[in-house]
Amino acid sequence: MKRILAVMLAVVALGVLAFSAEKIKAGFIYVGPIGDYGWSHAHDVARRIVDEKFDWLETIYVEAVPEGEVETYIDQLVRQGCNVIFTTSFGFMDGTLAAAERYPNVIFAHCSGFKRNANMATYMADFYQVYYINGLIAGALTKTGKIGYVAAFPIPEVKRHINAFTIGVREVNPKAEVHVRWIYEWFNPAAAKEATEALIAEGCDVFAFTEDSPTVVQVAAEKGLPSFGHYSPMYDFAPDYVVSGQLVHWEKIYEDFLVKIYNGFYTTKNLAHVDYWWLLSQGAVEVGAKPGMVINPKYEAALKNYVINHPAFGKISVYELVFIRLNQMADPGITFDPFQGPVYDRKGRLVVPEGMWMSYDALITMEWAVEGVVGPWPGEP
Amino acid sequence: MDFASWLISTVSRALAFGVPLLWGTLGEIYAERAGVVNLGVEGMMILGAFMAFAVSQSTGHPGLGLFCAALIGGVAALLHAFVTVTIRANQYVSGLALSMFGLGLAGLLGRGWEGKPLGNTLPTLTIPGLSRIPVLGPMLFQDQTILTYLGIFLAVVLWLLLFRTRWGLAIRSVGENPSTADSLGINVTLVRYLCVFFGGLLAGVGGGYLSVAYRPAWTEGMTAGMGWIVIALTIFAAWDPLQALWGAFFFGALYHLSYRLQAYLAPELLKLMPYLFAIVVLAISGLGGARWRRRAPGALGLPYVRGER
Repeated sequence: MKRILAVMLAVVALGVLAFSAEKIKAGFIYVGPIGDYGWSHAHDVARRIVDEKFDWLETIYVEAVPEGEVETYIDQLVRQGCNVIFTTSFGFMDGTLAAAERYPNVIFAHCSGFKRNANMATYMADFYQVYYINGLIAGALTKTGKIGYVAAFPIPEVKRHINAFTIGVREVNPKAEVHVRWIYEWFNPAAAKEATEALIAEGCDVFAFTEDSPTVVQVAAEKGLPSFGHYSPMYDFAPDYVVSGQLVHWEKIYEDFLVKIYNGFYTTKNLAHVDYWWLLSQGAVEVGAKPGMVINPKYEAALKNYVINHPAFGKISVYELVFIRLNQMADPGITFDPFQGPVYDRKGRLVVPEGMWMSYDALITMEWAVEGVVGPWPGEP
Repeated sequence: MDFASWLISTVSRALAFGVPLLWGTLGEIYAERAGVVNLGVEGMMILGAFMAFAVSQSTGHPGLGLFCAALIGGVAALLHAFVTVTIRANQYVSGLALSMFGLGLAGLLGRGWEGKPLGNTLPTLTIPGLSRIPVLGPMLFQDQTILTYLGIFLAVVLWLLLFRTRWGLAIRSVGENPSTADSLGINVTLVRYLCVFFGGLLAGVGGGYLSVAYRPAWTEGMTAGMGWIVIALTIFAAWDPLQALWGAFFFGALYHLSYRLQAYLAPELLKLMPYLFAIVVLAISGLGGARWRRRAPGALGLPYVRGER
């Protein structure tokens, strides 16, 4: 009897030990090739960072997964022993949810969607604050008063970015316009190039964009025009012309999420309300031409010499304004938001009343165009 | 915006965007004139794009890069020639496979080259004297690379070769009626090999242009469907090198205008325009086009077996 008890104890002890030392095997599903130098690339950079950081973590990935086939790939990852699975495209949403219901013992996290489950969280690192800061800089640099914006799809995410950017532009240069061209593709260098050429022909002299290639930066630089990088550091493509840009740090979210799973804080039962919407203050996004370089030193003088009479700060250079706004939003107790009322859309309707901020729901469903945006705007209310 | 500025930007961009299409189409015309459909253009172009970038980046010579791009395009085309001419497999299947193979291989080889800016790009030319002419100067003689002018020159030469020489006659007869050509002592296999190989060379250059001149960087999948437009343009041009010239530049102009006109017309419609054009062309050539049908090489897509009809 004693012996049996001892054996049983040993088994239980082993079981507990095994559980507490359990490794996490995380699978990542990417929609694009990891070499796209945009979205999937950034997720993979983050995966490698967390993989190296934690010895209890093992990661694997599959790339260029068609959106309709995500479930097949999830099955494959589960068979390979993954207990945490990240799916990184909006189009994976329904497939991920279906898989989450089929595999109640696996933890899922879906990027950029809105459907959750007990074992499925959502996460997103958003750039709208960063675009606003870039807008401030762009407004000070344009000489023609026309800024070009090459955009992928007319969806709320991209519209939010263009609007935030334009609000920044008009804050320092109330007459400037942001001219938008849509390419209807996330990745098509030729389309991005022709859209940029078209904007140059229209007289635009500063460029920003939301699509997955460094094309806009390259084309603008060929013509000697400044631009803002997007997603990955694009400084090296045109060191004289990339002024600043939007950088992402998905690893901040992955680290937080995985550590909380490892510590037993997140389980397969309590994720129904876990939604990461991380911004500047969490360090998930960064303003810069490359990490650590908020403003390309070549443009510092021009921004310091561009002094405006700001309603809140009085006489101030755009250079100072950039860092004030950045601190206001990067500080955990955020004291400023680009969509701070009053905000009018370009049809003259008041969309955010004086003194108000927009709710998360209003931000992620934004369809209107702010004053100062010029060009087609499919789905404009 | 005044008329002159519209004209200048449209023509200038049409030339720049039309270049890879023109090179690819000229090559495909030769392959198809000899009776071999090569749907692998997309694959040959992307291999050329990768090769041109990798070689230019490591040696600093974009010209050498383009040369190697031509070679790899040619080698890939030889694969297609071997499978379709020697083994006599289905040309369409082999071509599709070549496209997929090229995209995959270039993506794999390109892993370490992704996202690196190219130090030495193919320079754009400003032709002394001519570029000063008002309107015409900026329209035709600025911001173009040597490949624009070389491509136009090549189109004329290839037209002469095809319709005014014995060689051209040999190529056309192989595509039209290989058994007759064979009975006249023309080496059908050799002609087909050479034409398909030549098509690969030009497709490789077209792809290389994308990565060392048009948008100097390597990105996986950067040809983004241009190879398929080439296939449509070959039909649109009715297998005639001079008409390929108009086709490629007309398509380039449409492509540019689809962005230029966004401020005035619904962008969804404009985005459709170039592709709608491709479909319309194919429909016309397929339905009403007695003219087209007459001009299509008679033995297009058919393997040649001596003694069979």
